[in-house]
Amino acid sequence: MSPRADEAIIVAADLVAGHDGSTELLVRLRHPNGAEAPVVLDEETGLRLMKNCGAAALGELVGQSWRRIVEGS
Amino acid sequence: MFDVIVRNGLVVDGSGAEAFRADVAVKDGRIAAVGQVAGEARQVIDAGGRVVAPGFIDPHTHFDVQLLWDGAAKPALAHGVTCIVPGNCSLSLAPLRASDRRQVVGMFQQIEEMPPEAFTTAFEWTWEDFAGYRAAIEKALSINVAPLVGHSVIRLWVMGPAAQERAATAGEIAAMQDLLRECLDAGAVGLSTSFVDVDENGRPVPSRFAQFEELDALCAVLGEYDRMLQCVPEFYATDITIARIDQLAELSLKHNIPTTFSPLFDTSAVPDNAPRAIARVEEQFARGARVWPQMQTRPIDISFSLLRPSLFFARLPRWVRILRQPLAERMASLRDPETVAKLVRDLGPDGGEAMMGRLVVRGGDAAPADLVGKTLSEVSKARGQVPAQALIDLSLENGLDVAFLSAGQGHQSTDRIGPMLAHPLVHIGASDGGAHLASFSTYGDTGYLFSEFVRKSGALSLEQAVAKITGETADIWGLKDRGRLQPGLAADIVVFDPDTIDREAELPAFDMPSDGMRYVRAARGVDTVLVNGQVAYAAGAYTNAKAGVVCV
Repeated sequence: MSPRADEAIIVAADLVAGHDGSTELLVRLRHPNGAEAPVVLDEETGLRLMKNCGAAALGELVGQSWRRIVEGS
Repeated sequence: MFDVIVRNGLVVDGSGAEAFRADVAVKDGRIAAVGQVAGEARQVIDAGGRVVAPGFIDPHTHFDVQLLWDGAAKPALAHGVTCIVPGNCSLSLAPLRASDRRQVVGMFQQIEEMPPEAFTTAFEWTWEDFAGYRAAIEKALSINVAPLVGHSVIRLWVMGPAAQERAATAGEIAAMQDLLRECLDAGAVGLSTSFVDVDENGRPVPSRFAQFEELDALCAVLGEYDRMLQCVPEFYATDITIARIDQLAELSLKHNIPTTFSPLFDTSAVPDNAPRAIARVEEQFARGARVWPQMQTRPIDISFSLLRPSLFFARLPRWVRILRQPLAERMASLRDPETVAKLVRDLGPDGGEAMMGRLVVRGGDAAPADLVGKTLSEVSKARGQVPAQALIDLSLENGLDVAFLSAGQGHQSTDRIGPMLAHPLVHIGASDGGAHLASFSTYGDTGYLFSEFVRKSGALSLEQAVAKITGETADIWGLKDRGRLQPGLAADIVVFDPDTIDREAELPAFDMPSDGMRYVRAARGVDTVLVNGQVAYAAGAYTNAKAGVVCV
């Protein structure tokens, strides 16, 4: 599923330490107007995003639609 | 005749003033004199070579349950903490109807990770209202307690199940106001609320269903008492945190109340997060608002096991694929020599030494006791393996139930965090003492403040650091009787070695009800702790003193 031109896409992904001692996934979203903002996903959501995207590495999340974050939630 | 004289110490009085050599005399639970004290005392404590300071105040804890069987909030007292603030994040154990106990226990278990037995065998529920809870904990306190009342339980009392379903009516809001007044009259030092927390089923806690009008009305009551509003904002998103800072500022100005929010973390992944939040706090203080950000001293450690998938391996595609398999299939893969060889090769020529060598075997699970606290590098060398192979084999040998800790993965830059902790508008706190029991230790942040940010980096002077966690904290919270070594104030005193005070390594302990496990850190360099004039901890042991009070 390719992202639409009028929706936010993931432009970067990195691992961060969560408040509760878990590993969390920080993705940076670029919105259609060019604005970028980070979103921190808890471990469960991060793992689900990787699965939704069929990603085995963080780099494979780049270019994916923001909608993949909420799929199956 | 004094009760106690602490002689010849370097007095750091909690005001931020320069340390000076003096004696501190105690009479009837209060500080009687500070200076060259003549006369005798029933007990003399030699503090030569030591610092004598006010007892530390921990403004963000979840000791609500533990206090019912452990009036010292161990090991907080051993770290020099003489006053704790429980009831944070919208959750307290009162007011709470008997019929709602199970629901609130679920919320507590979500944040405290306390075994169920803690709520069924360790104490008797003798109360429903706040005064009753106060009476229950006051029976055997060794430490002082300045309790918050939780917005979620106030809501639950008034609205029942609807508290987790909808906004309140005008009548319900008025009832909440009356109930909050009752709690404040019974000794609560403020109200806590949360925009983040969830219950054990992942549902938002009741406070998250409140409209702004409800919070505004409750803050009007806090204004009548000049009491604190504590809030957990959406700390994972900078823009939302800033919006909450603005909201808290409006409430502070409108009702003339202090507010505090926690936590505030620094993270290299979003380097402008904490600086932007602090800049906004500066703007709001300039307007006259009081919005205190709480920042913890300790770095964030992360942990994982191979028992369940973890993002820890997200940079290793093959590991992700294997660990995503169902358990039986995963274990089969990890037993397959060809697969394991590939997994190990993925770590590079050092076999994972760089990425995994510093992982620590945590314990508290199926890990062999003799390996607990050892690094994977040490374990692998002893086994004659590379770290990646040792991690897999050690896990397999113990049903995959071996947790590994990766220290200092967040909020870890001393050079960045030191100046923030020293900032006059940053409130040192957010320890979460008594919470996250099975995940990491929430004790010893005060020792880490001195070891890392006073001795190692020099970001704060000894006097500044003491003031931050004593006098300034007492001022922020309106604890008029605490926080300074000053004649007439309560004699909460800690005697410590400024050259060694620290937190020890994190270890599992099985000291919760029914031998429940938690991670703890022992104290280093704390000699003696007095609470309201009585020695509560000395020479590495707790005494039988029960001089703690609910303080306002």
